[in-house]
Amino acid sequence: MLASFGEDFFRALLQGTPPGTVYALIGLGFVLTYKTSGVFNLAFGAQAYISAAMFFKARQDWEWGIVPALILSVFVLAPLIGLTLERLIFRNLRTASAVSKLVIAIGLSVALPALFELLANYKPVAGRPPTGIVPDGGSVFYDPFGIYPFSRDELAQIIVAVAAMLLLGALFRLTAAGLAMRGVVESPRMTELAGIPADRISALAWAISSMFAGMAGVLIAPRLNTLISTDFLTLVIIAMAAAAVGRLVSLPRALVGGMALGWFIALFNTFLPRWSDDYTWLKPFQENLTPSLPFVVLFGILVFWPAIRRSIDAADPLAGVDPPPPALASATRHPLLTLQTRAFGVVFFSFIGWVAFTQADVRWVSLLTQAVILATIYLSITVITGFAGQISLCQGAFAAIGGFTVFQMADRYEMSVLLAALIGALIAALVGALLSLPVLRIGGVWLAIATLAFAFFFDAVMVKFSWVGGGSTALLTGTRVPRPVLGPLDFGASDRSFLALAIVVFVIVAVGVIQLREGTIGRTLRALRGSEVAAESIGISPARARIIAFAVSAFIAGLGGAMLAMQQKDVNYGQNFTPFAAMFWLVLVVSLSARTVEGAAQAGAAFVLFAPVILDGTFLTWLPFITEDNLPGFFPIPGKWRFVLFGLTAIQFARHPEGMVEFGKRRATRKRNERYYARDAERAAQAAAEAGMAT
Amino acid sequence: MTAILESSRIAKSFSGIQALTDVSIDVMEGERVGLIGPNGAGKTTFFNCLLGVLTPDTGTVRFHDRDISELPVHKRAQAGIGRTFQRIELFSDTTVREHLLIAERVHNERGSFWKDLIGRGRPQADEIDRCDAVLELLGLAELGDEPVEALSLGQGRLVEVGRALMTEPSLLLLDEPSSGLDREETAALATTLREIQAEKGFAILLVEHDVDLVADFTERLYVLDFGSLIAEGPTAETLQHPAVRTAYLGTLEVGDQEAMP
Repeated sequence: MLASFGEDFFRALLQGTPPGTVYALIGLGFVLTYKTSGVFNLAFGAQAYISAAMFFKARQDWEWGIVPALILSVFVLAPLIGLTLERLIFRNLRTASAVSKLVIAIGLSVALPALFELLANYKPVAGRPPTGIVPDGGSVFYDPFGIYPFSRDELAQIIVAVAAMLLLGALFRLTAAGLAMRGVVESPRMTELAGIPADRISALAWAISSMFAGMAGVLIAPRLNTLISTDFLTLVIIAMAAAAVGRLVSLPRALVGGMALGWFIALFNTFLPRWSDDYTWLKPFQENLTPSLPFVVLFGILVFWPAIRRSIDAADPLAGVDPPPPALASATRHPLLTLQTRAFGVVFFSFIGWVAFTQADVRWVSLLTQAVILATIYLSITVITGFAGQISLCQGAFAAIGGFTVFQMADRYEMSVLLAALIGALIAALVGALLSLPVLRIGGVWLAIATLAFAFFFDAVMVKFSWVGGGSTALLTGTRVPRPVLGPLDFGASDRSFLALAIVVFVIVAVGVIQLREGTIGRTLRALRGSEVAAESIGISPARARIIAFAVSAFIAGLGGAMLAMQQKDVNYGQNFTPFAAMFWLVLVVSLSARTVEGAAQAGAAFVLFAPVILDGTFLTWLPFITEDNLPGFFPIPGKWRFVLFGLTAIQFARHPEGMVEFGKRRATRKRNERYYARDAERAAQAAAEAGMAT
Repeated sequence: MTAILESSRIAKSFSGIQALTDVSIDVMEGERVGLIGPNGAGKTTFFNCLLGVLTPDTGTVRFHDRDISELPVHKRAQAGIGRTFQRIELFSDTTVREHLLIAERVHNERGSFWKDLIGRGRPQADEIDRCDAVLELLGLAELGDEPVEALSLGQGRLVEVGRALMTEPSLLLLDEPSSGLDREETAALATTLREIQAEKGFAILLVEHDVDLVADFTERLYVLDFGSLIAEGPTAETLQHPAVRTAYLGTLEVGDQEAMP
């Protein structure tokens, strides 16, 4: 018994070694960019994906040999991307806040895969599994210890990853650039004081870490059945878990963290199934937990390891000196201008409403409804990111909770779906509040990462439970949801009536959000964002305020998710609520305007209508003389461009944290605004002069 | 007179370096007390221990006969300790009046989620009146609608004072209020503070390096050096104490700085 335990243990260690070395590799790369440029590079997964896909494309479509394909994907393309990002984006953002760098990295991880797929004309195809960097990688095995046969791919993973790490070590110890880089890793400011160009060092670090990412992507690819960009997002989570073990500062510890993660997962996979044979209640966890272990580990490290919290303060010395966000355009707007805007709004929306309710066909009504519902969901981002200043990447999970609750309640108890939607929103609020409890203390960037880990955990584990997503088989056959019936009103009878319901829900939520913004909660959150220490000094409890913000935000997301499920008559988890979708939502809302209700509405419209209206060229057919038959040839533009466009717009976040639309609005109306104020002043002066004459 | 703040035998060390050793400071009701010491004497560390930003290794802080050693920062603020900041801390993107309004609201605990939803969360007329009265007192009445980004440093510090006053503190901790201000501004600040204190009757603990301000403003003085109290007593006497003069003032007489080249 004991002997077999030892043998199993050893086998698990051997099994965990190949992925462990790759994890260590990306953990090192992650720490390297973080320490040299302060960027929490969430786009790391995207970079790994691009190299893996490039390698795949070159091997299978162009039928290149292994070596040229490897050189192109890992040693040319990967560093090129890294250098481009460093030079064009992150070099100019050295003093930006950690959170804005994170938002930009999220934008990049949305934009880069789509951009690559468009430029390289790459489409993930099922049934063509990726191959590794050695011939017959998956079919030839070696068994040096007699208990675990390594495939050639696995041996290649170990050898290449170890070689890359040794090279990095040699570079650090033996070359001048390495010495300088070590200096930058230790203390960028001191290095700059010593006259070493930090820019060049940081470019070098980006090139190296991007190569590490690319190499990791190519090495890990044979473990996947199909190359899909979202699978590579989990690589970032692994990298961050490894990096978190090193508290983001230590390269050797990140290496150990990556190895340990590989071993831990293998041990877990070996032993948990046995325990769950004895304890049946463990079974569903065992089946679902395995793929999500990296997220659980990362979440656990973030929440339960106090050293992480301490390292955050040290890692972000500029956090306290973020430039204040500019006042909202509405705050400085002349009343006359506000009146004009409102008049325009009334005319515009009356027209849209007239078209929607009398002219539009089923497809457009359905698109409009979806836009309104997504705008409702985006109001949850307005609350948590716009008001509370926290980046949450699990809004998709909150929305899914609303959708799944409606499905379960209607399916099991035949409950009224509107009531079920409210219950779903309340459950989401409860989950949001509970989630915020442990992550609140960490704050800032790590809070965003913890919510991302939770989103992945929800995606990999919770959705598969039969009491959540209805079990994996139900996911395939559909999680059907009926349309609501309210007394004599049957919202299922016509899509237009459901659009009306969606508009009513949006307006109620929007009014509530505005009331909160102007009320105690909104003002408390604004004070906290303005200065946390000062807010505490007048008796504001940061934890309480943020728990409320999380709960409210999750409530809104849950309600919106329930509405979306009703509209589509199905939860459609995979299409609507995945972690990637939530990342895109965030990018969309912050690049338009995270702090206003209009911003959420515009983001909803952009998400749903941008592709059919703009990219398909439909807007041109609304002009005279152009019909669908004589549209310019480049229409329809592929829908992926919206990921590229909005992802790249997020880059502006550091300069315009109020959002592009908000910024544009201010600039567009500034002249007129000033003219109105000048006229007011003139009139006041005139009146004063006349009053002076009279006396 | 009774002591409202009693801190006894506070000690704190950072990775082996003893920053504070058995520091005990009392503040009586309505009193103006100073705490001075050269750079690195432990003033800020002590301040943070009082406020709950740092947890002392040993020692207790009592406020109004209640042990507040374990309370978090915001609870101590609610108990009646107001403060200002050495490096000014205002809420960006907010007007002067809004600063006072939020403090007023938090202090009276009139906020609730449901009130917010029905629109009762907006500033109420009586709150605005009280804030305007304090702004008047501080001489900031004209600036109520200004965004704080438009203020001078001296005005900003007054806004901090006003914000703290809205919570009706019985003790106001001033963290180097003269830093960044010139002589006239400092004098004006001292005058305003004295007037307000005369009206409201709260106690002040002033942490300062500007000896002129301390000599002029405080009644009683504690002197820190290397983390220990080296002298305490009425301000004028304490400043003449030999240990204080060697440790802190060197051989200069008070007021001699102007004569320096």
